[in-house]
Amino acid sequence: MSYKIPMGPYHPALEEPYKLDMICEGETVIDAKLHIGFNFRGIEHLAETRNHIQVIALMERVCGICSNIHTLTLCNAMEGLTGLTPPPRAQYIRVIMAELERLHSHVLWAGIAAKLMGFKTMFMTCFELREKVMDILQAISGNRVNYSMNRIGGVNRDITDPGSILKMVEALEAEMARTVIPIFTTSRTATSRCAGIGVLTTEKTISLGVVGPVARASGVPQDLRKAAPYAAYAEMDFDVPVQPAGDVRARLLVRALEIMESCKILRQALAKLPPGEIHTEGEKFAFITGTATARVEAPRGEVMYSVSWKEGSRNPARVHVRTPTFAVMPAIRWMVKGARLADTPLIQASIDPCYSCTDR
Amino acid sequence: MTLLESIPEKLGSTEPWIEKGGVHWLTLGAMNVRELATAMNGLHARFITITAYQLPKEEGFRLEYHWDLDGQLMGFPFVLTGKSIESIFDLCEGVDWIEREIHEEYSLEFTGREYEPLLLRQGDETGVNLRDGVASSSTAAPSQEKK
Repeated sequence: MSYKIPMGPYHPALEEPYKLDMICEGETVIDAKLHIGFNFRGIEHLAETRNHIQVIALMERVCGICSNIHTLTLCNAMEGLTGLTPPPRAQYIRVIMAELERLHSHVLWAGIAAKLMGFKTMFMTCFELREKVMDILQAISGNRVNYSMNRIGGVNRDITDPGSILKMVEALEAEMARTVIPIFTTSRTATSRCAGIGVLTTEKTISLGVVGPVARASGVPQDLRKAAPYAAYAEMDFDVPVQPAGDVRARLLVRALEIMESCKILRQALAKLPPGEIHTEGEKFAFITGTATARVEAPRGEVMYSVSWKEGSRNPARVHVRTPTFAVMPAIRWMVKGARLADTPLIQASIDPCYSCTDR
Repeated sequence: MTLLESIPEKLGSTEPWIEKGGVHWLTLGAMNVRELATAMNGLHARFITITAYQLPKEEGFRLEYHWDLDGQLMGFPFVLTGKSIESIFDLCEGVDWIEREIHEEYSLEFTGREYEPLLLRQGDETGVNLRDGVASSSTAAPSQEKK
């Protein structure tokens, strides 16, 4: 006999509203249905009432964790409509901010995953490291969450002392290499809780259009930083970690390895930070009538913004946001099928979902 | 000739790609959206999203379908004079949520599929993103079990 277990919308593991109705037989999940929309704020519609400066501040609030990525993608799209190209120093600063945000996101996720595994010591370690990442973000931008770094044609704040930031990054990298990476990649606790559960096959990953670390953990080697480089990524030397297994452990490994790759990118960007302006100076710009689209590899995967503008208008005619969790979350249904009920919180968390992004 | 360059001919289009605003655009002639989805599956392109635009006055809507092919972003516009278009959900699983979202935001019908509420709660009016205010032509469909 099957029965339904509703999980959420006040989720026991993830502190954002979302609901998963699971059909179970005994302790095994037979099927599941997702319900989102609890955070629907109509941000895309609201964006049509904001001017080109206000809309950046608005879209920074689509997501609390990857706020910088949203403004980066929006500014990339709006630069396509204005013809402005950010100077090289600004492109490097954008890479630095994006990789720090990836570190922040991945370490935060690692902490939550550790908590769900019952590995509380690791949770505390990860959150201590997350504080250090946020310290760096604060040192650069003055803020710990919404950084207000991006503007059309460049960035708002310079990195005046890259040497001191580099020292902070190196200290962080050493700590990651000493604690988080070996524990997540080799410890029996992590392996026994994560290996073989929540499997998403390569075929299903492709057919669902799954993106980001979840896709890479299912053997799909896609990463826009390599495939369609933006900002200064074409000048960075880094690898894209890919794991074939498609289970929660593979997602853990991919993110752990991406933490080290992000540190590698940060070291290069800070060491090679070119001199010059941080935003395009000169004449006032005007928006070209039409539509421009930009894509960026956020911590959770591909973000895409389509921005449409009418000539002479103060406000965008349309801003459409396709967030990574919107593409990844439907895969949860397939991940939890056949899983033990007790594993489902960790499986859901393994995609690093952002409900705020998804609902907008 | 690259794979991307060969696509217009494979899709029966006499038009070349137009690269604009970060997208390779292709205007299709007689090909409908289901034939396009089938062709994209054949190319192993990754579906990304559909962006809906409400055109001025009574001109209808424009739907832009986006696929990725090895990092190249492709866009295919379809102009709707009415309020419906065929669903490609049975051909492309990844389209499910965005079709439901566009249905709720613009009251457009994707024919040949069933709906469940996505962003809007059951009973809410669809058309929340329409510029002329909330359309009341339909409401979010009641929740239905789907195999």
